[in-house]
Amino acid sequence: MSQWLSEIKPTWCPGCGDYVILGTLKTVLEKLKLNQDQTVIVYDIGCIGNMADFIKAWGFHSLHGRSIPTAVGIKNANPKLNVIVIGGDGGIYGEGLGHMIAAARLNLDITVIVANNQLYSLTTGQSSPTTPKGVKTKSTPKGVESVPVLPLELIKTVNPEALAQRVNGSQPQAVMKAIEEAIKHQGFDLLDINQLCVSFGKQLVQ
Amino acid sequence: MVKIWTIKIAGPAGTGIKSVGNLLSQILSQSGYYLKDYSEYPSLVRGGHNTYQVSFSTELVFAVYRKVDLMVSLQTGHWQEHQKEFSKNIILLTDNDGGLNLPLATMCTQLGGKIYGNIIALGAICFLLNINKELALKVIKKHFGQDEIDHQAFELGWKYGADNFQKLKIDKAKKFKKEKMIVDGNEAVGWGLYKAGLNLFAAYPMTPATGLLHFLAKNQDEFKIRVIHPEDEIAAASIACGASMAGGRSATGTSGGGFALMTESVSLAGAAELGVVFYLSQRPGPATGMPTWTSQGDLLFAVNAGHGEFPKIVLAPGDQREAFELGKKSLNLANKFDVPVILLSDKNLSESNANIDDLVAEKMEIVESKKVIPGKGQKIKLYNSYEHDEAGFSVEEANKTKINAQMRLKKIEKIKKFLPKANFYGSIKAKKLIVCWGSVKGAVLEAMKTMKNKEEWAVLQIVSLWPLEENLEKIINSFSERILIENNAFGQLGQLLKSAMKVDFEKRILKYDGRPFFPEEIKEALE
Repeated sequence: MSQWLSEIKPTWCPGCGDYVILGTLKTVLEKLKLNQDQTVIVYDIGCIGNMADFIKAWGFHSLHGRSIPTAVGIKNANPKLNVIVIGGDGGIYGEGLGHMIAAARLNLDITVIVANNQLYSLTTGQSSPTTPKGVKTKSTPKGVESVPVLPLELIKTVNPEALAQRVNGSQPQAVMKAIEEAIKHQGFDLLDINQLCVSFGKQLVQ
Repeated sequence: MVKIWTIKIAGPAGTGIKSVGNLLSQILSQSGYYLKDYSEYPSLVRGGHNTYQVSFSTELVFAVYRKVDLMVSLQTGHWQEHQKEFSKNIILLTDNDGGLNLPLATMCTQLGGKIYGNIIALGAICFLLNINKELALKVIKKHFGQDEIDHQAFELGWKYGADNFQKLKIDKAKKFKKEKMIVDGNEAVGWGLYKAGLNLFAAYPMTPATGLLHFLAKNQDEFKIRVIHPEDEIAAASIACGASMAGGRSATGTSGGGFALMTESVSLAGAAELGVVFYLSQRPGPATGMPTWTSQGDLLFAVNAGHGEFPKIVLAPGDQREAFELGKKSLNLANKFDVPVILLSDKNLSESNANIDDLVAEKMEIVESKKVIPGKGQKIKLYNSYEHDEAGFSVEEANKTKINAQMRLKKIEKIKKFLPKANFYGSIKAKKLIVCWGSVKGAVLEAMKTMKNKEEWAVLQIVSLWPLEENLEKIINSFSERILIENNAFGQLGQLLKSAMKVDFEKRILKYDGRPFFPEEIKEALE
């Protein structure tokens, strides 16, 4: 068993894209031989945030939307630490969008990995900041009224030096490569991993 | 009792009221006078009406008096609204606007600039107060550097005073053996946090707490601390929590509105067991309220801050020295017990100066947290906002939930043994007890100096507002008459005490107009 996995079995739905992120992240951490004592993972709240229980590493399962400023505090208190943030589109692009912009402007050396399934899934499928306009969800039965947030474009606008990548979450090799690049990158980086929620995502493909 | 002199300087914002006030306080302190000062200013940068007020004496002064002995108006129309505050023998200096004439505008023209009125006035004031001129000039030089024109301005004012006024009969002070330090409450808290080993301070500006951010930012290299001004108060509090998790000794600071945004992090620090200091300097609310005025309206908010049930500590200093001591204590208690600590101040303390013993030479006093942190080869842990087990993994089982809640309850009991005790002044045999907290203490103690039947009175200043000391009930009830004095409208300390113990107050003296208590008001209300 990997030194980076806890003994708790993941509780995600069968077929969830979060398994891909967990598996590829673990492989990259092993491959890069990151010092386990010098690595901290900060988790946002949401399905992907529950990874906190499945990984064995110094971690902080923070509050919804606040994973990035929490990571900023960790990195400032001990700049030697490798700091990785894991969250969803709700926490990072919704509740925490201002924090993401601020951290990108700061160009602090942290890696932000976002499982972007364009929905709030842990709360059973409401619209998120990346849900396309017009999509009907439980909280928007008449269709989403706003245009979606474009996270990569936002990051590139506020800080061209920051690394912002998008990857298809159903392609493990591509995800692995992107995670490795993101962790190796010095300065702020955002990795937007696109997924489809297996339980509530149907409304997005209709 | 020796005479306490009170001076007020008034004028529009932008005329250097605050800076001349600070200089006068420095000069008085270096001359050997004890002092307290107090400023009033609206929330704007130019115009309006600003005042600086100082009470000083050869004996300890606990609070600024309302009655003014010397009033200086830097521009036309800035003294009239203060007439009710004038003492019988008021000396009023104005620029051709009543009282004794101090032609500031004319003298400014001589110097070639409008901005020197405040320093010219300072020269005249120092002459009247029979201050050593060399000493005053040294203070000015230290403040302005080699800028000759400020010296000239002072000399001009002094000379005008010498030619036209008579020196006041003021008790000569002996210089302090050890030079005193002028600090306001914000700076004193900053010194306290620093002396307790602060590593990181994150804050978003909000009056009247901003002074702490300025002080720590200015001294960050000397203190070897990180100071961060992030995007909002939510980030500031989250950063402080993150820093604590990584082994930093962290704090944040704000006023009521900002603290409202921080309360989720107070709860987080409670859940994840992280020591973080939340400095909350009160101003009148609700909402934006009155940014530059004072209030004690956030006591119950602080005590109840954060959703859920968890241990937290709320401490309130009553003066600048206590602001230092409790600043230190707050960070040490936060780390000793890995809990959030709220340090409650108010505008009246945060932005008012006193001269107290030097804080620079104070010893460092650091109580380390025992929690495990990354990078030290300790057993890996997950810090978790969810209910969790010892390794940090989330739990939802009934028995584990209950055990965790009980552990939190036990921690509160443990904390109680280490809390600073209430300050008691007067005799335990007195009949009447005044109960107060925070900066109100100054005005109360000052009023006590001249009360009739002094021996009948005692004062209890509660320092640990949460958890409450258990013996408070016994102490309070041992007096036959109990009076509550607070700078708020609800009598929040009274409510808090009543919720925890059987106490009652015969009388409540509450002030809630944005102004602090003055000693005269308290005396009048009691007698």
